Amino acid sequence: MLRRSARNRGWLTYGLRLVVLAAALGLWQGLSAAGVIRADEFPSMSQTVTALWDLVTQSALWSAVGQTLEGWALGLLIGAAAALLVGTLIGMNGFAYRSVIGVIEFFKAIPVIAILPIGLVLWGATLTMKFALVAFAVFWPLVIQVCYGVRSLDPVVRDTTTVLQVRGPRKFLMVIMPSAAPFIATGLRVAVAVALIVDIIAELIGGGSGIGERILLAENAGPSDYPQMYAYVVVAGILGVLLAGAFAVAERYALHWHESQRSANEQEQGYPERRGLTLAASLSQRPSPGRPGGDPGLAVRRPVPHLVVLVGGLQVAVLPAAVVDPEGAVDPVGDRAGSRRAEHVA
Amino acid sequence: MTGPARAELSTSLEHLVVGYVIAGVVGIGLGALLWSWRYLRDATSPYVYFLYVLPAPVLVPAAMTLFGIGFTMKVVLIAFAALWPTLLNTLDGMRGVDQVKLDTSRVLGVSPLGSVFRVVLPAAAPQIVAGLRNSLQVAIILMVVSEWEASSDGIGYYIVNAQQSFDYVGMWSGIIVLAIIGIVANLLFVAAENRALHWHYGARAVEGTR
Repeated sequence: MLRRSARNRGWLTYGLRLVVLAAALGLWQGLSAAGVIRADEFPSMSQTVTALWDLVTQSALWSAVGQTLEGWALGLLIGAAAALLVGTLIGMNGFAYRSVIGVIEFFKAIPVIAILPIGLVLWGATLTMKFALVAFAVFWPLVIQVCYGVRSLDPVVRDTTTVLQVRGPRKFLMVIMPSAAPFIATGLRVAVAVALIVDIIAELIGGGSGIGERILLAENAGPSDYPQMYAYVVVAGILGVLLAGAFAVAERYALHWHESQRSANEQEQGYPERRGLTLAASLSQRPSPGRPGGDPGLAVRRPVPHLVVLVGGLQVAVLPAAVVDPEGAVDPVGDRAGSRRAEHVA
Repeated sequence: MTGPARAELSTSLEHLVVGYVIAGVVGIGLGALLWSWRYLRDATSPYVYFLYVLPAPVLVPAAMTLFGIGFTMKVVLIAFAALWPTLLNTLDGMRGVDQVKLDTSRVLGVSPLGSVFRVVLPAAAPQIVAGLRNSLQVAIILMVVSEWEASSDGIGYYIVNAQQSFDYVGMWSGIIVLAIIGIVANLLFVAAENRALHWHYGARAVEGTR
């Protein structure tokens, strides 16, 4: 196959993406115009975009976004802080870990949605209800991640710490946290997305104020407000993309010293097309042999790929897609970090 | 719980199973398609990602206007929401396949389609399974949400109805049933996973990673 320069391929990709966007929007408009989709059931593309534009210029949208973000941030903060504390305590003690892990797995398997009615009865449709639910949803998967991270501490490092008599907060900050950081980052990446989903469910069903509630109100107002409803749906999606993207950027800055990030950077340099959606791969599994690796000892710090928001605000093109890796993440017992380390040793 | 609750449960589970199976098959299929066709992958990746991040429950009202409040609407919603984790993990897992294995299979004269089934799928299986497990959780949530919003039967309807009529015993029993569904589904999944992937875990144990 013909080798193209990285730059050309980049432009080709962006061009293709714009074509896909234009085709999708055109198809939508065409189906509406041809009457295949009935206007009172599903608004046309132009109506939705107009509604979206109207919303962007009004304060109602921004206050809804603010309320949603409020529940998201508070819940995430509380859930993550609690998970960090509890997870570290459990992870540091083998007996505690073996006693509790079954119970945690049990709670993790309970769908959050089952807790929603309890939240509604306790707090009504309030901000408290929203962030309590978010915190609950975030806590269980994250606490498991933190436990695995803490337990993955290298035995040599652990023994050295003991010999040097590093204890208490100092041990926590200087030894355990750095070692567990990649696990925690993986857990948080999932938590960011889960928190938003749960927050919006709490608004949509529980009636807490925010984007979810606006969607419901627009739907109840009847067909004339459907364009607005879909505009809010688009806003919810964009919000999700932006939050996850922001987290990926933050993760890069915070963990740029870690080998997983370094190898991700190097791979990205070798293979520019690996950016975008599928960079997840480089975080989540070992690079196949034969890929130009570069000196693993050399931490190459690349400029952070920025979020390019182009035409129509939809073209979120250069997502540093470490974000994607949706679950492999929380799932198989520190699987990836294990393989990551193995690959490094090999 | 008595007779009616059991009937509610069976409708819910029917939606769940049909939607989940559709999501699994389509997710793995589309994931493989995107893997094998790079331009398509590059061109669609931001939009696939957008759909993955979009909180699926916001689509409930939209699905109601399009499909009414019946069986179709619930299955479509569950399948749509559960599709993305499987799809992205399939794509990811397939991208991680060792190039040497692919080259070897080609040298040994395995047809391209044959190598997909005999090399790529087994190699990507652990990650596909992780995606399927995530999809299962999403599917359960969507099962309840779709009934909650728009339904006259199902476990979600039962809970919300009990809550709104201040029947807290009924509400709590519904919640417990829901929790049990989640836990049992998870256990079944893990059992199936251990059976299907025992070769993988066996190999890992021997390698001694971790």
